[in-house]
Order: sequence, then C-alpha cells, then structure tokens
Amino acid sequence: MTAWQRDFAKRAPWFLLPALGLLAVFVIWPLGRALWWSVSDADLLAPERARWMGLGNYSDLLTDPRFRRAFFNTALFAVLIVPLQTAAALGLALWVNRPERAWRWLRVVFFLPVVVSLPVLAVVWSLLYQPEQAGETGLVNAALGIFGIEGQAWLRDPQLALPALAAMSIWQGVGLQMMVFLAGLQGVPREQLEAAQIDGAGAWRRLVHVVLPSLRNTLVFVVTVTTILAFRLFVQPYLMTRGGPEDRTLSLVQYIYEATFLNLELGRACAAAVLFLTWVGLLTWMQRMFFGEEKS
Amino acid sequence: MVVSDGRAAETIRVWSHQGQEAESRALRKIAAVFNEVNRGRGWSVELTFFPDFQYTEKLAVAAAAGDLPDAFDLDGPLVARFVEAGLLADVSEVYPREELADFLPTIIEQGTIGGRLYALGSFDSALLLYYDREMLARADVSAPAEGKGWSWAEFVDACEKLKAAGMEPVGLHMNESADEWFTYAFSPVVWSGGGELIDVEARRVRGVLASEENVRSVRAWQGLFARGFAATDPVEPDPFGQGKTAMDWSGHWMARSHLKAKGERLGAMPLPMLAEPSAPCGSWCWAISARTEKRAVAEAWLRWVTGVKTGVVPTVRANGAVPSRRSAFAHFPEYSEIPYRIFREQLETSARARPRTAFYATLTQRFAAALRDISRGADVEARLRKAEDEVQRVIDRKTRSVAEVAR
Repeated sequence: MTAWQRDFAKRAPWFLLPALGLLAVFVIWPLGRALWWSVSDADLLAPERARWMGLGNYSDLLTDPRFRRAFFNTALFAVLIVPLQTAAALGLALWVNRPERAWRWLRVVFFLPVVVSLPVLAVVWSLLYQPEQAGETGLVNAALGIFGIEGQAWLRDPQLALPALAAMSIWQGVGLQMMVFLAGLQGVPREQLEAAQIDGAGAWRRLVHVVLPSLRNTLVFVVTVTTILAFRLFVQPYLMTRGGPEDRTLSLVQYIYEATFLNLELGRACAAAVLFLTWVGLLTWMQRMFFGEEKS
Repeated sequence: MVVSDGRAAETIRVWSHQGQEAESRALRKIAAVFNEVNRGRGWSVELTFFPDFQYTEKLAVAAAAGDLPDAFDLDGPLVARFVEAGLLADVSEVYPREELADFLPTIIEQGTIGGRLYALGSFDSALLLYYDREMLARADVSAPAEGKGWSWAEFVDACEKLKAAGMEPVGLHMNESADEWFTYAFSPVVWSGGGELIDVEARRVRGVLASEENVRSVRAWQGLFARGFAATDPVEPDPFGQGKTAMDWSGHWMARSHLKAKGERLGAMPLPMLAEPSAPCGSWCWAISARTEKRAVAEAWLRWVTGVKTGVVPTVRANGAVPSRRSAFAHFPEYSEIPYRIFREQLETSARARPRTAFYATLTQRFAAALRDISRGADVEARLRKAEDEVQRVIDRKTRSVAEVAR
C-alpha cells in the first residue's frame, strides 16, 4: 500500500457521511420508529399514549382472517403477474427488436400505458369491464360477444375480479419490462448468434441456447422487480373494486392503509408493514439464492 | 407585532376541507371579515385549505405529530373518535343556552358526545326521494300527498309500474366511490325497519348489525337490485338529471341542479319507510383543538363561523346545504317550497345522526363493503354477519388493550 492509498483509506469514511446521514434520517430512523410502534398499541391520533404490547400485534395479525385474505390475494396476484408479465415482456421485446423505424413506433405504443397515470387507467378499465345492464355493456364483453362468448361481470364476480385486475396490470406494466429486455438484448453476442445460424440452429434453438443464457441477469432483475411491484399492489383494486367483491381483491397495502387511516391503529399498521417488508425481503433474497446473478 | 392598546396580536391557525370552489371562496370571505372586525383586538385567523379527499388523513397525521391547528372542521361522524383521543375542546359553555336552542337538534346531536358539546356546524344535510312528475304520471303512479312519504310496499309498487312502462325506476348511486355514501344513504333503511348498526353504549356490533330486523330490511333493499329497479353499476353520476331514471335517492346537494333540469316537473318526498319514517343528517362541523393556547380567539372564530349572519348565511348561499340554525331559514325564501321544505321538516322530526362511536370509520367502511356485495346478490345474513365480526374484532382489540392498561 502506498502512502497515498493509506491516506485515502483513512479519509474514505468521511466521504460516506452525507449519504449515511440521509439514510439515517429518511430510512433507518423511520424504520426504527415503525419497529417500536409495531410492538405497542399506538393510536394514530395520540401516539404519545402508546404502551408496550410485546408481539401482540403480530400474533393478532397472523390470526386475523382479513389479513390472511389480504396476504393470500396479494400472493395470488404476484403468482399470476410475475410469470405472465415476464414472458409477455420477453415475447414483445423479441418481436419489436428490429432496427426499422416502424418497429420503434410499436415500442412506443407498448410503453405508453406505463407513463399514463394509474388512476386514469383505473377509470378507463372500469368502463371497459362494465357488466351488462339495461342493454349496455363494456367493451370487453362486447368484444367477447363477437366470438359468441358470454359477457361476465368482471369486477363483481368474486372468482374473476382478481384475474381481471391482473390482466389490466399486465397490460399496463408490460411495456416497462419490455424495455429492460430490449436493453438486455443489445448485449447478446452477435457472433455467437451467427455461429449458431451457420451451424444450422433454428430460431427456437438460438433463443434457448444463445439468447436466454446471455439474458440471465436481465431476467433475474425483471423477475425480482416485478415481484416487488406485484406485492405493492394497491391503486387498481382500491379504485376499481375497493377491495371487493367479498374482499377478494383486498391487497396488503390497502390493509395497511385501512389499519392506519380508518381504524387509526398505528401500532397494528406498523406491525403489518414490518411483516410486509420482511416477506418481500425474504422473497427477493430467495430469488437471488435460487438463480443468483452471474458475476461476469 | 403589537396592536394599538399594547396587547400582543394573536393569530390562530384554522384548517378547512376544500369542497366546492364557491364554498371555499365564501369561507375565505368569512375569515377576511372576521379579521377586519377583530383588528382592534389584534385577533386574526390564518385559513388553510386541504383537498377534501385527503383532509381526514391530513388531520390524523397532524394529530399524530401533535400539530393540530387551533380550530378546524371535520366530518360529523368522526367527532367521537377525536374526542376519545382527547383532541377536541369541550365547547358546551361557549354558547348561551338560548343561542344553542336556535340550532337544529340534529346538529347539536352530531356534536354531542357523552353529554358534552364538542363540535357545531354551520350547515346540515338532508336526503330524500326526488321524482319526475311527468314520468310517474306516464306510468300511472300517483305520488303521495305533499310532505308525506311512501311505505316500502308503495315504493316497490311504483318501481314495478315504472319498470313495466319501460323506464328505469330509481337511481341509488352505487357508483359512488366514497364509502360514506352507503352508510349515509342506507342507514335510514335499517333504522326505518327498527334496527341499529351498532350499540354505541355497549360497544357491540355483534348481534346488532345482523339482527333479524336488519336482515329483513336489507333484504327488502336488495330486492330493488334483484328485480332490476336500480342499477348495481351505474356509469352516469346523475342519471335522474339526464332523464334516465324516474326517481333519485339523493341529497340536498342535487336540489339546485335538479330544479334547473326539471323545473315544475320536479317532485320530492321523504325516503320510503319500512315501519318508521327515517332520514340521515350530519355534515362538516367546526371544532377547537384541546391544546390551543389561544382559546379566546378560537372560540370567537367558532361563534363567528356558526353565527347566523356572519357564517351560516354566506356558507349556505355558497354550498346550497341546509342552514344549521332556525333563524337562518328566514334568509332563504326557497325553504317555503319543495324540495327545500322537506329538508327542514326532516331535520326537525325524523332525521338522526349516524352512530356517534369512536369506531365509526371502521363501521362505515365494513358496512359499505357489505352493502356493495349485497346489492350484487350476496347472501344478506351471512354478509352482514361477516361485517359484524370484522368490526367487532377491531372494537374488542381496543377494549382489550384499554383493559390491560387499567390493570
């Protein structure tokens, strides 16, 4: 180690201070407060009266049928969304990955729903999903009618509401993942593709043996991010179904929101938020364990 | 700053929800005049508005941070919860007895918790059944005598005739996004059938919300959807004004626009009743923070904003709600006519405040969710029981933790 390097090592921590300071104020301190409140019976309107409750909030949450329902719904939503949206995004990316101008426009079209505000889309899709009444019906049912498929009350049927929201969410979010895959596709080694072609590999084999292996890191990233985003589900069900019908679209985030602002049970809401954070963290960690990124 | 007679100037913070533009403008003017009149004393208010869809959360967060303003308005049914958290000042002694007698009984009831007064509004609300005289005549339906309402059977009979004549009978506004609409609009159905949503004293919902009477009443209500008399998923916010429905189950806030749309054709009657006449009431009201250090100014503001000429009349002129004081009605000649006359009659006779319980926010949300499901065909008894359990769970938790603290 040269003198300069030793000097640098001594000073390095000082350069970390601003970043660490911000982290402490905006992440660590709030997290600490939330942890403390989660083991108390804090009332949002009068948190100063909070009393120690031990793990009471946690045990109560885990036995609360409504919390379990919210957890189950959100997990089901993630199970629906993650594989479908990842596959759809990859498919779209492969399809529009061409240099001509027309394809560029198509990319923009697929990306558009990502930039439109979710509440606006929620209203639009509520109208699309309108069930039939007084001889009028939404576009989705009208379109199915052309193929002779019977119209459904999409957002009102306990069996269909969550899948209907998932379909809308995939349509809304798929453009973002498509863009990520497109960026990843730029990194596929061209000479390998050409070599495979010369060796007589068809499009499918080229995809499986050349494209996918070099997209590995992109794939890990997309799956992880999509999972986290799926668990943060809130706006669509809150605006379109209010968590109904029969609580079938009640999401974890809506549950936490209600605990905070309707029941005003700050302690319990913090406990639910801590459980939520733990769960998502665990899931992300597991995903990294199972198909961790390749270190190049 | 020091005013002329040497006392320090006192400015209080006042928050209000931002409703209609005209209403906010009126309140700004009310505050400006207050400041003008009290300049000699050095008293003034600093008024801040927050959008009404975030306002309640804003208040809760301010309470959590110990940063509530000196005076603020809040929605009537939330008063109980704020009182329980010790946030509101008791204002029972602020008004002389004879002045309190001038307020509508419903407004006093809404702001009274445990026998003490904590909040007063400058206006109240009313809900009734509007109808289109011509459309009813076309279906050969005769409206009841002026000021009288239908029994439930008569109401259903009218719906049947209207439907047979090819019209959509009634709008129930099931597309309303706010949970509060459901409790506000349909609690009267429960009350009218002899039931309650919650036993406030005993803090009990179990066995109360899904009582036999309520199951009967709510089944009758469910029948309106099952028989196609009302839409479960309307798109149009004002189907009655657009001529799509013959009747409208709606509030005072539609009176002006319905009169404009229908003129002479507009009729109105109290809500149909199962057994007793029943109507909701309640609206935004004013309260003072228990922690204010400028109580005299805050009280002066409260008296000002609920004063007949200083607050009630300008506010009601702007928002079209029902004046909260009897002596204010003289300023509104329309109250001698339909529909306005019915608003006042109801508030003085059959209307009642929504349950004044600290658990109101939870109750209203679970009840609204149950009604949404029931309107779409869920089993009434099972669904009300589920709502019962959910609300009771929240109540029991709170009661348990209070009991533990007492030990």
